[in-house]
Amino acid sequence: MDRRNCLQLLAAAGNSVIGLPTFAAGERLRIGLTAVILADQVAFLSRWGRYLSERVGCEVSFVARDSYQSILNLLASGQIDVAWICGYPYVRYEASLSLFAVPLYQDRPEYQSYLIRPQGGAAAIQGWADLRGKVLAYSDPLSNSGWLVAQVQLARVRLRSRDLKRSFFAHGHRNVAEAVAARLADAGAIDGYVWETMRQQGMAAVAQTEVVWKSAFFGFPPLVTKQGAGNPYAAGLQAALLAMPQDETGRELLRALNLTGFTKGTPAIFDSILQQAKTVPGSGLVS
Amino acid sequence: MLRRLPYRVQIPLGLSLAVLITALLVTTIAARISARTARQETLATLDRAVVLLIAQARPMLAADDTWRVFSLLRDTAALIPGAESKHARGAVLDADGRVFAASDPGSLGTGLQILGASLHGRKISSAAEITERQQLDQDDGAIVLIDPIRSEDGQTIGFVFVEVEAPVFAPDWAALAKPALIGVLMAVMFLVPIGWWVGNRMTRPVARIVQIIERIGHADAASLHAEVPRTADPEFSRIGDAVHQLIGELQERQKAEERALSAERLAAVGRMTAAVAHEINNPLAGLLTATQTLRLHGDSGPIRQRTVELLERGLQQIRTTVAALLPQARVEDRPLEPGDLDDVVTLVQASASRQDAHLSTRTDIESALRVPSAVLRQVMLNMLLNAIKAAGGDGKVEALLKADGDRVQFCVANSGGAMTSERFMELLTAESGQDPRGFGLWVCHELANHYGGRFELDAMHSGGTRLVFCIPNRERREVQA
Repeated sequence: MDRRNCLQLLAAAGNSVIGLPTFAAGERLRIGLTAVILADQVAFLSRWGRYLSERVGCEVSFVARDSYQSILNLLASGQIDVAWICGYPYVRYEASLSLFAVPLYQDRPEYQSYLIRPQGGAAAIQGWADLRGKVLAYSDPLSNSGWLVAQVQLARVRLRSRDLKRSFFAHGHRNVAEAVAARLADAGAIDGYVWETMRQQGMAAVAQTEVVWKSAFFGFPPLVTKQGAGNPYAAGLQAALLAMPQDETGRELLRALNLTGFTKGTPAIFDSILQQAKTVPGSGLVS
Repeated sequence: MLRRLPYRVQIPLGLSLAVLITALLVTTIAARISARTARQETLATLDRAVVLLIAQARPMLAADDTWRVFSLLRDTAALIPGAESKHARGAVLDADGRVFAASDPGSLGTGLQILGASLHGRKISSAAEITERQQLDQDDGAIVLIDPIRSEDGQTIGFVFVEVEAPVFAPDWAALAKPALIGVLMAVMFLVPIGWWVGNRMTRPVARIVQIIERIGHADAASLHAEVPRTADPEFSRIGDAVHQLIGELQERQKAEERALSAERLAAVGRMTAAVAHEINNPLAGLLTATQTLRLHGDSGPIRQRTVELLERGLQQIRTTVAALLPQARVEDRPLEPGDLDDVVTLVQASASRQDAHLSTRTDIESALRVPSAVLRQVMLNMLLNAIKAAGGDGKVEALLKADGDRVQFCVANSGGAMTSERFMELLTAESGQDPRGFGLWVCHELANHYGGRFELDAMHSGGTRLVFCIPNRERREVQA
């Protein structure tokens, strides 16, 4: 079963929960995952959940959804305790969210957004200005790298949505890569960390695409909690995440995630996203 | 080549070939039917795929979700025949007839105008003109299916577009050949040996009948009758009846031949008896005349002496003649002497007198005579009596006994009618032995052959008939056959 099928399996399972060691009923932490990571590896999530459970002292499980909004809804309704979302929804709903942890990618809490095109499509698309009359794939309406950055760049080259032949959301960064590889889209806005991780794992879709443009660095998609949720195990979970680089199992799990660790982070990391969102009509942050 | 083979091989071989040819024919026909129905099956599969795509794509199209429609097309591409080999492709078009998402975006790019545009040189109806499913058949056998996708309230929100190239409908001969080959191999492995066995079984009665026919005339008829196979098959029954009839007829023929042989043996005995009677009867007339002479002139010493010697030599000739005719009786015979001709003349004189025939003889002896006297006396007696009869009344008979170192020759000419060669040959045949005159000549002919000589008609003689008897002048009595 490949990763996509695994993801579909997880999505179809609704509020499915990855099985973990047995703890007392009600003593659990649920982490919501979005397309910011390749969250369709059941065996990996099982190992990671077991690792965290042993350190937190309660059952830690993962809930995957293919849209950011779904995870935010689950967080808002208290069905999950922690959500791994993008920096853009964090800054957009910062008032109701608390920064829980920020992953370290190459030892930095930052990442880039990429514009990719099909392999060998050099003559057609060299940059954002070449997207006129082309099909562009986005990741998610609440994705910084997969939508917000693209809106800023299109505006910068004075391209409006109707100047594109068509645009669509692929419900995940990975799907953006696959849509561009299949030439369903002429170009795609994708999370640079996800694209690099896919390349590291030798996924075919990445091999058929190439990066046209890289953005400036933005705050890495953070883990957040609902403001004032107060789960008694949350602090333990945060400590376990931050301590992952300190043991071999944790380092192995981090290598699988293509990360180097977690940090508490500060909201200031996401200021660039905030400033950017304020320039995009429809971002919900335009004053 | 088949016709040169034995019947017993032809039938099994023919049956085996028939099985093989039948298998090939059935396979070929099945392959053609399969190829013909393949297009219908492909169209039916396409129909099901289109129905499925319409149902699944409707909510995605309504939600303007290109990625999910693409995922649907990609995941269901296997349902479209030829999609995996890039000979077919499917797409969902938006309400304006542009590609919303395609299973192969490389050939049907997103946003490409399909409806109302030209495809492979043919204009496709516009989105507004298509209200129901359309099937566009291309000249090369390819097809294009366009089916509207409607919302629940009947509004056209898009179209399913499926294009299948001609190679998809082409029969997959390689795939068809595999079961065909298996069928033929099965036929060869199982049916051909069975055909051979059945053929052998069919020809077995024929083989037995052939063996029986080959033994007809050599084996016992009753056992052959018993060996003729009995079968319920009407054709074989007729053959069996014919063989029974053949055996019966041959049996009858053998009996007839045995009867004919017996009759022939009886006839041969009759001819032998006639020959003995003839050879004995010839000198008897002269001997009876001698006894008459002895009775009338027996008082005269010289006459009595001469007559008694004549009687003795005549009787001796009869004895020798009988001995010659009976192989088991062997008697010593003396060589011929010139006086023997006088004795023979004396013996036939009475006959000549009764015919008023004039008989004259002549001898020309240059060498000692070594031929047996009884044989020459018998020959001379027969030839003279025949000549006297042939000469008729007042006829002339001239005899010549001639001898040299190599051969002895006795010639008799008569003044009667000239005998033709054909008549002479008729007289020499065994079948004419019933003719007393001819019988004597036949005996001469047989003796000439027996002693390595000849007996012939002098064709050069004129004024009557002249016969010549000639044998080698030596002591050997007979030549080896």
